[in-house]
Amino acid sequence: MQTSRRFFLRNGALALAGTAALPAFLTRAVFAASATASAQGKKLVVIFQRGAADGLNIVVPWREPTYYSMRPTIAIPQKQVLDLDGFFGLHPAMASLEPLYRQRHLAIVHATGSPDGTRSHFDAQDYMESGTPGLKSTRDGWLNRALQAEDQRVKQPHTAFRAVALGTDVPRTLAGRIPALAISNVQDFAIGGRGPKPAPVSTAFEAMYDQSSDSLLHSAGDSTFEAIKMLRATDPGHYTSDASANYPDSPFAKNMKQIAQLLKANLGVEAAFTDLGGWDTHQNQGSVDGQLANRLRDFSESIAAFWRDMGSDAENITLVTMSEFGRTAHQNGTGGTDHGHANAMFVLGGHVKGGKVYGKWPGMAEHQLNEGRDLAITTDYRRVLGEVVSRTLGANNLEVTFPGAQLNPNQFLGLV
Amino acid sequence: MPSYNRFNNGRRSVSRVRAVAAILMAASLCNPGLGAQAAASSASGTKIDTDQRILHVLNRFTFGATPGEMAAVRKVGIDAWFEQQLHPSSIPDRDVDARLAEFPALRLPVPTLLERFPSGAMIRQTANGKLAEPRDPYLSAIYNRHIDLYEEKQAKKADEKPKMATDTDMATIGIVAGQAQGQLPLNQKGKARLDKGRPAYAELLVKTTLALPPDERVKRILTMQPEEYGQLQDSLKGPQKMLVTQDMTPAQRELVEDFDNPTRTVVRELQGQRLLRDIYSKRQLQEVMTTFWLNHFNVYLHKNDEAPYYLVSYERDVIRPRALGNFEDLLVATAESPAMMLYLDNATSTGPDSPAVEKQKQRVTMGKPAKKGTPPGLNENYARELMELHTLGVNGGYTQKDVTEVAKVFTGWTVDQPALGGGFKFDETRHEPGKKLVLGKKIKENGQKEGLQLLHMLATSPATAHFIAQELAVAFVSDTPSPALVNRMAQTFLKEHGDVAAILKTMLHSPEFWASDVYQAKMKTPLEYVISAARASGVEIEDTQPLANALNQMGMPLYSCVPPTGYSAKAEEWVSTGALVTRMNFALSLATNHFPGIKAKWVPGHLEESGPNQSEQLLEARLIPAGVSEKTRAAVIDQATGQASGLPTGTTAGVEGNQGNMPIAARALSPSARQTAIERQNAQLAGLLLGSPEFQRR
Repeated sequence: MQTSRRFFLRNGALALAGTAALPAFLTRAVFAASATASAQGKKLVVIFQRGAADGLNIVVPWREPTYYSMRPTIAIPQKQVLDLDGFFGLHPAMASLEPLYRQRHLAIVHATGSPDGTRSHFDAQDYMESGTPGLKSTRDGWLNRALQAEDQRVKQPHTAFRAVALGTDVPRTLAGRIPALAISNVQDFAIGGRGPKPAPVSTAFEAMYDQSSDSLLHSAGDSTFEAIKMLRATDPGHYTSDASANYPDSPFAKNMKQIAQLLKANLGVEAAFTDLGGWDTHQNQGSVDGQLANRLRDFSESIAAFWRDMGSDAENITLVTMSEFGRTAHQNGTGGTDHGHANAMFVLGGHVKGGKVYGKWPGMAEHQLNEGRDLAITTDYRRVLGEVVSRTLGANNLEVTFPGAQLNPNQFLGLV
Repeated sequence: MPSYNRFNNGRRSVSRVRAVAAILMAASLCNPGLGAQAAASSASGTKIDTDQRILHVLNRFTFGATPGEMAAVRKVGIDAWFEQQLHPSSIPDRDVDARLAEFPALRLPVPTLLERFPSGAMIRQTANGKLAEPRDPYLSAIYNRHIDLYEEKQAKKADEKPKMATDTDMATIGIVAGQAQGQLPLNQKGKARLDKGRPAYAELLVKTTLALPPDERVKRILTMQPEEYGQLQDSLKGPQKMLVTQDMTPAQRELVEDFDNPTRTVVRELQGQRLLRDIYSKRQLQEVMTTFWLNHFNVYLHKNDEAPYYLVSYERDVIRPRALGNFEDLLVATAESPAMMLYLDNATSTGPDSPAVEKQKQRVTMGKPAKKGTPPGLNENYARELMELHTLGVNGGYTQKDVTEVAKVFTGWTVDQPALGGGFKFDETRHEPGKKLVLGKKIKENGQKEGLQLLHMLATSPATAHFIAQELAVAFVSDTPSPALVNRMAQTFLKEHGDVAAILKTMLHSPEFWASDVYQAKMKTPLEYVISAARASGVEIEDTQPLANALNQMGMPLYSCVPPTGYSAKAEEWVSTGALVTRMNFALSLATNHFPGIKAKWVPGHLEESGPNQSEQLLEARLIPAGVSEKTRAAVIDQATGQASGLPTGTTAGVEGNQGNMPIAARALSPSARQTAIERQNAQLAGLLLGSPEFQRR
């Protein structure tokens, strides 16, 4: 069956001629099916920090003397670090996440990343998202393959909302055989205008596509209108987030809020993705205050708000963050840092064994640095994600998700 | 009613021969070979250019058939038309030339463009005293404004204090965080943003500014302080924004936009000219091939501060003049372009044994500190993509060792002072000495000539011929082109030494191109969709921005494909739930004049008295000459009928107290109200047709 299915790239597409089965079983039993799925299954939320976030100033190794000698003006002073475990501490702008660490929902992995040595943003993001560092020929993404791996184990019906990206297009992470949906604004996901009832033009379009003999467009159309109907049925116009959430007023917070909205709406969301830019702090990155601090504040507050918003549903969520590489250990000549290597990942969730910083710390003495300039990697990021997907999505076939990585469950960090 | 295709602008009278041909055509859709039946049915035995064949050629080799183009091809025949298209300079293009006169900046050489529309780097360097300030008073005003903005931003970064998270502070934090985010446009609103206490003044400011004659208005704006200018910008409501530059000459308008945001002005003009050419140019094949090669030799718009400027020249001087020429010529031109050398990081690639590195080593052993950005080393990015994406293809038989050797060959291929828009330069000091071994061939040490030798080797390789042939076949014929076709095209490539025109002709004359399962079978990419919608609907465009925005939403932003692979030409890439929603909404917005600056007219004279059926027929003939299915037609007409009664579809039966299913013509309306009603009805029909499954394909 797999060989007769076509293989889809960035935006994903639905079943082609020959696999006419797709729409039929989706349309009727949708709510019942997705209710079951959401009761049993756990959901994965992935956040990509684009631009190479400065992991050393985010999860600060404040006991390392070289951290201070290498970053004379941008290091976070010991007194202002939010201590986590006596060695590492959080940047003070991340106060919102500290309680989650104390409550043991938040785990951190440090000195992790992609083994490929590229320092090109584009290449590194590509490699990280495709899940095959160094291989340019991979066209799909690790999360899409993880969902495929899940399908190998468990056959259950899925909706058009199974894999959702908040943004204008489906990211490489979600590209592949499993159809993924990109929504930039939940309220606008309709044709011919918002509203509780479909606009007449929407009904006209639906009839057209439903009757079309163009099988590709017919099934894409079916899925489109099904998704619109499903979403409309949740009355998105009147949705309000939980009163305790307190999202900041930023585009990233809006995306997190909408992810929560979709997760809570029983639409069958299994994997959600969004990203946040502005991390490429080559100059004037600031220390306790400044560019990076502002970015971290938005980042932390939005994630904390999301956590509160999910309420009891947070139990079934695992949220993971990543960035294509870290930044140089030394600061540069313009008050910033340059492209580096290892970075920190956050893993937050109801089933996460939080309250700990995982991974082997490579040290920051000159001779311990990667190529004499960056933090060295001691945990391949695929080991972290491999554990997350197998424990969250039940995607146990690691070779499918991360081909060539030769991941061994015995080597998981024990995060989830 | 048989669903035969209506090609003649809605005129039902077709000649007897044509009718026979057309009916046979419809029947022949089940049989292979468009035109085969028609040729057989012709009494004289000469090849008949049936309208379906013409439509097919136009759909594939232009950005969308228009009634005008079809008439033109009918007149001279497909072969003659194609030959003419292969010689674009022989085709007058007055309409497009007039439109492009709006963008004088795009004619400038890169250093001048950079100087007049300063990039972030130019502003920084001027602020730091490394560059002299301009003498021209207008330009000086522009520089001063942006230097002020830059210095303000620096000051802000330096002394930003953290705020503890409280509810009242959320909004402020959000704004600050939002502004700092790298994704936002450069346009900084002045401090006036938070100064909401002076509405009366703001209104007066807008009124008096807009009332000035253009010459005065330019001066007034360019001498505004940041606060005042910010207030002006903030107080302008949507359509008013266009009034700021109303009646100005193109040069004046550019000055005002430059004042606002120099780089964005360049990007807007670059994207605008591309859209206008694609829509209005008579030299359609040249534009189609320019798009093809820009994608094949992809360069990303935001790679660095200078990329937008270099892209202006890249398209204008490197790609377009060679789009229908010789492949090797084009390949070499891209290899010697600053745009490509910077995009794929070759400009800083340095040979490990080059004089520059030797010098560096000496410095370090002598105890001197290493220069910034060192140690310089080999960068393999261009070398790899040159072989993987530009020539041989990923299966073209090269190894990692070859990549490294090719990288060595191209060391020294760099750019002279890129921050100032300098041109290509070969830097001997970066060049790796010694001979190189690539794909089993020895390349003797010979400076820049090594690269030219290598490019010749790649351009004439059978693997390249095959790779390019495959790519062209996918773009023009089918997502899964037959190996026979691709081989034939590859043979032409080799025989005619990479002559693009010859390869295209081979394609045009191949039976595979005319197979019935190829007709109307390719899914339109977002660019093809947006442009064909504009062409078909004959819109008059004053502002291309809504089209550029639509492309962003559809996932195909212009010049903004990040990886060097470029955008795919295959259906699977572009069909998805999100994509369909965006396309349908776009179709509705375009047709119902929802985009300011883009106007469609849906009331040709003889439509005045028509009912929904006739309107649909006429619109269908104009927008989708290949015709739509009965189902689509029914859905569209249903919608129109529902509209006529003013009720949602499906509730048209037995309604009392209104005009029911009465055609607009029969209702008691004043002439102008009738006109409006017809226009609105037709706009919605058009929107439905442009969003139909049939219009997604070409």
